Order: sequence, then C-alpha cells, then structure tokens
Amino acid sequence: MTEPNQRHESSPVETLKQPLQGKTHLPVSASRLETLLQNLPGMAYRCLNRAHWPMDFVSDGCVELCGYHRFEIENQSVLWGDFTHPEDIQEVERKVKAAANRQQPFEVEYRIITKDGTQKWVWERGRVVDIRDDGIAVLEGFITDITDRKLSEAASIHANAFAQAVVDSAIEAVITVDNQGRIESFNHAAQNMFDFLPEEVIGNQCRTLIPATDSREFDQFFKHCLSHFRPILQGKKTSIGREINGNKKMGAVFPAHLTISPVQDEIETKYLLLVRDLTEQKATEKEARDQRELLAHADRLNTLGEMTAGIAHEINQPLTAISMYANSGLGFLDRSPANLGRAREALNKLSEQAHRAGAIIERMQQMTRPRDSKQEIVHCEPLIREVHKLAEVEAQSRNFIIVLDLPSALPKVRCDPIQIQQVILNLLRNGMESMESAASIREHEIILSVKVVELSGDKRLKVSIIDKGPGISDQIAKQLYQPFTTTKSSGMGLGLSISRSIIFAHDGILEFTNNPSKGATFYFTLPALSTVNDLGTNED
Amino acid sequence: MKINNIPIQHQQKVFIIDDDIAVRDAMSMLLDSEDIPHICFKSAHDFLKTHDGTQSGCLVLDIRMPDMTGLELQQTMSNLDSVLPIIFITGHGDIPMAVEAMRYGAVDFLRKPIKESILIERIREALETETTLQSRKSRREKLDAQIGTLTDREFQVFEQVAQGHANKTIALVLGISERTVEVHRSQVMKKLQARNLAQVVRMHMESQS
Repeated sequence: MTEPNQRHESSPVETLKQPLQGKTHLPVSASRLETLLQNLPGMAYRCLNRAHWPMDFVSDGCVELCGYHRFEIENQSVLWGDFTHPEDIQEVERKVKAAANRQQPFEVEYRIITKDGTQKWVWERGRVVDIRDDGIAVLEGFITDITDRKLSEAASIHANAFAQAVVDSAIEAVITVDNQGRIESFNHAAQNMFDFLPEEVIGNQCRTLIPATDSREFDQFFKHCLSHFRPILQGKKTSIGREINGNKKMGAVFPAHLTISPVQDEIETKYLLLVRDLTEQKATEKEARDQRELLAHADRLNTLGEMTAGIAHEINQPLTAISMYANSGLGFLDRSPANLGRAREALNKLSEQAHRAGAIIERMQQMTRPRDSKQEIVHCEPLIREVHKLAEVEAQSRNFIIVLDLPSALPKVRCDPIQIQQVILNLLRNGMESMESAASIREHEIILSVKVVELSGDKRLKVSIIDKGPGISDQIAKQLYQPFTTTKSSGMGLGLSISRSIIFAHDGILEFTNNPSKGATFYFTLPALSTVNDLGTNED
Repeated sequence: MKINNIPIQHQQKVFIIDDDIAVRDAMSMLLDSEDIPHICFKSAHDFLKTHDGTQSGCLVLDIRMPDMTGLELQQTMSNLDSVLPIIFITGHGDIPMAVEAMRYGAVDFLRKPIKESILIERIREALETETTLQSRKSRREKLDAQIGTLTDREFQVFEQVAQGHANKTIALVLGISERTVEVHRSQVMKKLQARNLAQVVRMHMESQS
C-alpha cells in the first residue's frame, strides 16, 4: 500500500477519491458518500503538500474538530497549518515531508488550536495520492480527535512517574524480588546503599546483597517469610522485619534493618524488600551507651565513696578475726605442751577469714572497674543475693534490716549483672536515706522483693524495693529522674537517672508508686528468658 | 603472751557481744588461749535475757550492732545499776561515739583490728576493777542495810556524831538529855558494828558518796 497510484485500497478515505474527482458524473453516489462522510468521527481531507497544507476538500467533521466550516477551509480562507500548534508544526511538517518523499503513508499525533481557542490532540493518517505536474504532492487523509486518550495517557504516565519518583527518592532501599528471591527492581537508594547498578544485580538472588556467611540463615528467613505470608495473603497486610548485615559491592558490611512484605499483582506475588541502613543509628546508640557507661561508672564510684565507712567496717571484721586467730594460734603453740589441735583450728579459721576479706574486695573492685557494658545470661538468685550482701554492709552501719523476698524458682535473665546490681543498690540506698530523712519515721526495715510477672503475655522479672519512708510527693516526682537534681544533702543526683537509663537499655522500665500505707515502692522489670528461642520477628 | 597475772576471781567471766560470728569465734579462741573464762552472745538482747544482776566479770561490746547498739546496751546496764565494766570495740574510729561511751563510764574503746595484747591487758584490768567495784558495791549495800535499821532519833544522833559533835552539844541541838544521847549513841555503834568513832565517821562518808 505504499505505491501512490495503487488505488481502491481498503481505507475509507481512499475510497472517497474516485467520487470526489468525478462528483458531477455520479450525483447519487456523491449524496451517499456525503452521508457517510458526515458520520465519520473526524475529518477526511485532501490537500497539497505545501506550507500550511491548503485543502480543497474536507468532510463535515471539520466543524466538530476545529470549529470552522467546510467552505472556510475549502476556499482556503483558513489553512490547516494555522490551527496546528506552533510547537508541533515543524515536527508534523518534517514527518509528512519525509513520508511523502518516500511515498509512504504517514501517521502523526499533534495539537491543534480550534476556532474558540481550545487545544485538542489529534491523530492524523494520510498518504500521497497524486503528484501534480509542478511536482507538488496531493495528500489525502483523515484526522480525528484523540484528546481524551491523550489526557488519560498523560495521567497514567504522570502517576507512574510519580510512583517511581517516590520509590527513587526514598531513603530506604526499595528492592522487589520474585518468589524465587531474584531481584526485579533496585531503586536509587538501593544503588547508593549497596554500590551496585541495577543492571549488575537485577536477575540475581537477593542473598548476594548480604555477606556470604549469613546467606544460609537469610535463605531460611526468606523461606520462613514466604510460608508465613502464604496463608494470609488474602486481604490482610503483613510484613516481617529483622536486623541483617548488608554487603556492599566491594565487600564492606554494614548493619541494616530489613522488612519484607508481599505485593500481589494480577499475575503473581512479588516481594518488597525495604532496607534501612542502621550504620548511623548504631553509631549513635553506641555513643549513648558509652556515655551511659561513663556516667554509670562515675555513679558507682560515687556510691562506693559514700559507702566507704560501711565497706571499711566490712573488711575490718575478717581482718580482726584473722589477727585474733593468729594470736590464739601462737598462744596455743606457746603452751607446754603445745596445743597443736587448737593451733591448727586457729590457722584453718584464719585462712577462711582471709578469703572472706578477699571476696569483699573483689565485690568492690567489680563495681569500681571501668568496663564495657556486657549483657550475659545470668541466674537471678545469685545476682540478687550478691547485691543483698553488698547492701547489707551499708544497712548494718545505718541500723537497717533488708528483708529479702526471693522465691525459689526464678528464670534466667539476659543482663549486665553489675549494672543491674548497681540499680538495686542505688534504690536500696535511696530507700534507707528517705526513711532516715524523716525524723518521725522509726522504721528500720526495707524490703527487696523479686517476682515473676506476666505483662501482655511476656514473662518478666519484677524487682521491687519497698520502703516505709515519707513517699514521693508530686513536687519531687516531677524532677525525680532528672540528672543532677537531688533531695539529699550529699550526692550528685545521678543515681536515679542512671538507674533509669540502665534499665531502659535492658528493655525495661523503672517506675515508682507510693504505697497505700506509707513509703514508696520503686520497681523495674526485665524480660525473663523463655525456653522458646526468639526469632526476632515482628508482625503488624 | 601472759601480760600480767592478776588472778581472775572465781565466777568472773568475759561477756563477748558481737553480731559477727567470725569475730565472736576468734575472740572466744583468743580468750581460750589465755584461759580467760568467757561466754559469747550474738546480740545485746540475747545477753540481757540471761542477765539477772548476779553476773560478775566484764563486757566486750561491738559498738555497731543491729537491733540494739553497744551504746544502747551501756545505757540499759547503767539503768540496771550494773557495775560491769565495758570495753567497746569498733570498726571505725568514731570519735563522737567514743566520747559518749567514755562519758558513761566505758573502760576503754578499741579499734578493729585490735592489738590482741592490749585487749587481753584491758580485759584483765577490767576484771580487776570489777572486783573492786563489786566489793565496794556490796560493802555499800551492807552499810545501807545497817543504816536502814536505825530509828529516826538514832539516825539524827549518828549524823551529829559523824560531824564530830560532843554529846553535850548533840543534846542541846536535838533538845534531849545528855543521858539519852549516850543511849542512842551506843545503839548506833552496836547496829553499825562500829568499834570506834573513826569507823562511824568513815561509814557516814561512805553513805553520803
């Protein structure tokens, strides 16, 4: 259909050519054609391929299309090129000319401006039907309004572009994978985070983005996610998150958080991987931890400094006994005959007391040594008993009794034992001091109680320190946890704020409540270790 | 290690009161090695339960103990008219406490760890002091009892005699006859078992102290 002289083609416009050329000869046919042309959803035309395309025939559709009547166009008082949008006309001219030169049909989309100034998108298809003697081509074709289609197309392009822009401007890496874990898309943030270009990773397994040492575990996790999503894909939104290590192209490893959620389109389920780089967050957390560690150490030194009288007393006891046993031993040896049995007894007991003194010093040193916070899995009972012993030194010299309420079967907890002991010691000392501060209070008993409680399904260890002091007034409560505020005459006012941040770092909360009778109870909870190994997943 | 060999009186014991079991045991062994009779208590309350005023000896007390401190026990003993000397032991050179303890008549105040030779020496001294105090106390109790048997008139004569007044003066002061004074005077001498005037004067002085 590329030959200009090939007539009788199937296009309706081409079939117009014969009757138009000989309309005087075939009036009946002409009238039938008129009707046909009037009903066309657009405008058929014939024009010369010259500047602005002067037309000598147009169909009635021209009114609806551009607002001008046939005769206005056919007598060439307006030219088609006048309607064509100035921004588009050159392009249309170029395409038509090119097609005409190759004697091929052309198809163009462009904008016109109608008589009333409205802008419309049109689609035009035409071809050369004749070449005049002067070499100018005669074109015939059809033009129709495609504004509606263009607008919806633009809207859809806009929407897609917007979605893509959102994905690309996201700080999180957005990666989609198929159900085999093969990467299908990789946004800008992902490219920056992993230093890969999309073409380097698309089609690869997503496990290439994590260190090889973690890949086994990651595969299991991915499988776990897929089997977890399957039954609840219908309707409910779901996602699973966990911390992972990311692996950059050059091998650098960084901490990250990964969230996987399923995305269902008409054909299949894909998976959306959101990766957030935690490097900075981890650094900030470490800095905060270091700060807390420093303050906690300062607080321990301060606490022990305040406790020196009690500690001296505690160490003096075994030293006194040691010295006496030594002298007794000498006394028994000096007898005639020497009492060897009792001398031996004295030496054995002396040795025991030396170890007792050593143990006290060891406890002190543990508290004073600067150290990194180290969480480990510990048994509750020895932890509590040890701090009870340490606090008793203080309690005795202040004429207090610490009542220990310790059930036999306690779970293990993951914690930094020194820090937890520090908190308990702080709270016990605060309790004793508050009871001493009120002259009217003649109580000398403070309770250290440990229980297992259930908080929204989780087992937690609850440690309470119950005093019978004046309680916490609203005034004091307001700035209770603020560092460097204190109600005591001596003291830095660090104890409670440190204690609170220590407990917070242990995934717990330190709180207080005034007792119904008198005094206050300070308590904190720590997650108790359950037998089920926690996968570290969360669902929403 | 024998420091001085002042004989320990029959029945005399050292009462060791300390809440620390090791210190208590070590001190007990130390006194064993010195053959000093003693008995240990873990608290002031335990000691008071057995105390009936007849015990003889001295106390070795830790000044800081739960329940009842050494100072509180000292007060209690003083209220009970006890003459048992008290040696205080402390882990701290707590000056205000020491001052208070000494003011209420503590024999000594020793710091832990204690030099054993000094402790033994002080214990022996305290036991000796207690012997003196006990005999003075029993003499005084006997005297008080004897004075208690005097009639009012006899007591008046006793006081006048002790002040060195002659019978004539006494008769004038009390407004009775010289003969009557003589009768009362001989009754006083008899009841107090005094052999001469000097003894009467000394007894009066002792009863006033």
